[in-house]
Amino acid sequence: MTLLSDTGYIFVRYLKKLIRNPILLFFSLFQPIIFLVLFTQLLSKFSSLIVLPGGSYLEFATAGILLQNAFGSALQSGNSIVADIDSGYLQKMLVTPVKRPAILLGRLTSDAFRVVVQSAIILGLAYALGAFVTTGVVGILLIFFTIAFFGLAWSGISLALGMRTRSSETVFAIGGFLTFPLLFLSTALFPISFMPSWVQDISMFNPISYAVNAIRVLMTTGYDWGTILPAWGVIGLVAVITLGATLYQFRKVVS
Amino acid sequence: MSDIISVKNLVEVYSDGTKAVDDITFNVKEGEFFGFLGPNGAGKSTTIKILTTLLRKTSGTVTVAGHDISSGAPAIRKIIGVQSQETTVDGDLTGRENITLQGHFQQIEGSKIKKRVNELLQLVGLESAADKRARNFSSGMKKRLDLATALIHEPKILFLDEPTTGLDPQSRVAIWSYLEKLNKEEGTTIFLTTQYLEEADKLCKRLAIIDFGKIVASGSPDELKREIGADSIKIGLENCERDRENAKSIIKTMTGVKEIINSEECINVYAQNASSLIADIVRALDSLDIRLTSVTFSQPSLDDVFTKHTGRKIRAEQLVKAPSAMFGRRR
Ligand SMILES: Nc1ncnc2c1ncn2[C@@H]1O[C@H](COP(=O)(O)OP(=O)(O)O)[C@@H](O)[C@H]1O
Ligand SMILES: [Mg+2]
Repeated sequence: MTLLSDTGYIFVRYLKKLIRNPILLFFSLFQPIIFLVLFTQLLSKFSSLIVLPGGSYLEFATAGILLQNAFGSALQSGNSIVADIDSGYLQKMLVTPVKRPAILLGRLTSDAFRVVVQSAIILGLAYALGAFVTTGVVGILLIFFTIAFFGLAWSGISLALGMRTRSSETVFAIGGFLTFPLLFLSTALFPISFMPSWVQDISMFNPISYAVNAIRVLMTTGYDWGTILPAWGVIGLVAVITLGATLYQFRKVVS
Repeated sequence: MSDIISVKNLVEVYSDGTKAVDDITFNVKEGEFFGFLGPNGAGKSTTIKILTTLLRKTSGTVTVAGHDISSGAPAIRKIIGVQSQETTVDGDLTGRENITLQGHFQQIEGSKIKKRVNELLQLVGLESAADKRARNFSSGMKKRLDLATALIHEPKILFLDEPTTGLDPQSRVAIWSYLEKLNKEEGTTIFLTTQYLEEADKLCKRLAIIDFGKIVASGSPDELKREIGADSIKIGLENCERDRENAKSIIKTMTGVKEIINSEECINVYAQNASSLIADIVRALDSLDIRLTSVTFSQPSLDDVFTKHTGRKIRAEQLVKAPSAMFGRRR
């Protein structure tokens, strides 16, 4: 019971920190929004060159932009833990009886919440520009679930790195280093038929592609479980690895 | 009164080989106001981190309120309040929210927290700023808020790591008065570290002087001063290196001289009849052509106690924030 309430208090703390720094929130949404508006305008002719699922490039790309945003947010998660270590706030929590796992769970749930809110904003904007989620409300919930799950899995990397290196610069650098190859060598922004074959090969193994494809079918085609379930499986696999590493580093910090 | 903190042969060696605490033994009695006095780098924070379950000891035995520090950490965390050397308040939260959150961490019921938070805000004089973000507080206000967060659960033992370092005199005096009140009225045991002699002298019923990881002296401030047993005469020589030994050997023969040590001025002479000796010393050194730069006479202070045991003066240094050194890796 205390684990649950402790997680709740820490979740609320991070949420307050987020809401009270609206500039930070705005800038982290800035890039996906630019992508959504600019890219989809620049590349709107795409759909006349090849057949895209859903028809327009906007509908195609929204899934990728959702994922890009989730990826970017997840990579910031580690900085929060570095900030808490540097300021001494983590130690302040550790001298109290607070349940240790709650410290991590509070962070992860607030990350998940944040990415869902951001995704809702992006979906709303996409809707305003003319992209619909064909599967409706249930589909939107499944999209949110997939994104939150994806976000958690990738938060693990930055959390583990943050605790290991205690340096937000390092987390940023490695995050930035990972973002572009992973995104561009995936089906996030370009259809697979458009890629040279070596990129196609990489993209097939890129975990981002799986998540993107699942969201994309939910947006444009329907409940294609043959795409959705494997995506959850791949995200689960990534989560086991990254959250395992996080747990390992966390235990070293608090034990 | 029984011992609430008992430390035997405690050693802490950091992973880089630094021996920060070198075989210290001491105890603190229930209800006592106990101090650790020592210069920067002496090992004060390291000791506090071990006592508050943040850092694992290398060797030795430590019990806090009857619980062994290694096996009883969860029980210890319920009854201690800790203010670390670095002020840690969440700047994005208000003063009130900072204290309330700490109350939640201490598992205090919601209905009780509200009342207690108000009491604490009043105690540390932050009622009017209670609902402002802590980010905008002055450093003195942040320290006071930090102290309030450590008090939310009425801890049996309060650990304070340099609670007044870097503060303006008014804030310091204010904090001193809360702490004295807390110790007297609530009976809270207080373990405080400081670099300030006057702070230790004013607040602590008993203290240990720590230098390079070792306790060099301990007792009540008066006992420690009495141990010197004499007034001191600090003598500065123009050419200390050359004349020191000559000067010492002649002063040694004078009646009433108890001890002569090297000091930063050059020589400290401890003597019963110090005031009457001054004239003799000046005359004797003059006849040997040893030039004086200064002679000062004083009754024993903790400064003399520190100098006697270390040959140096304690100097309160301004803190340099070094985040990487703040969180010792545990092994
Ligand atoms: N995490 C650490 N790793 C290695 N050495 C450390 C660490 N923390 C402190 N030290 C060293 O241990 C000694 C004692 O430090 P500390 O306990 O912080 O002293 P104080 O609090 O009395 O100023 C110093 O020499 C300091 O440099
Ligand atoms: Mg210190």
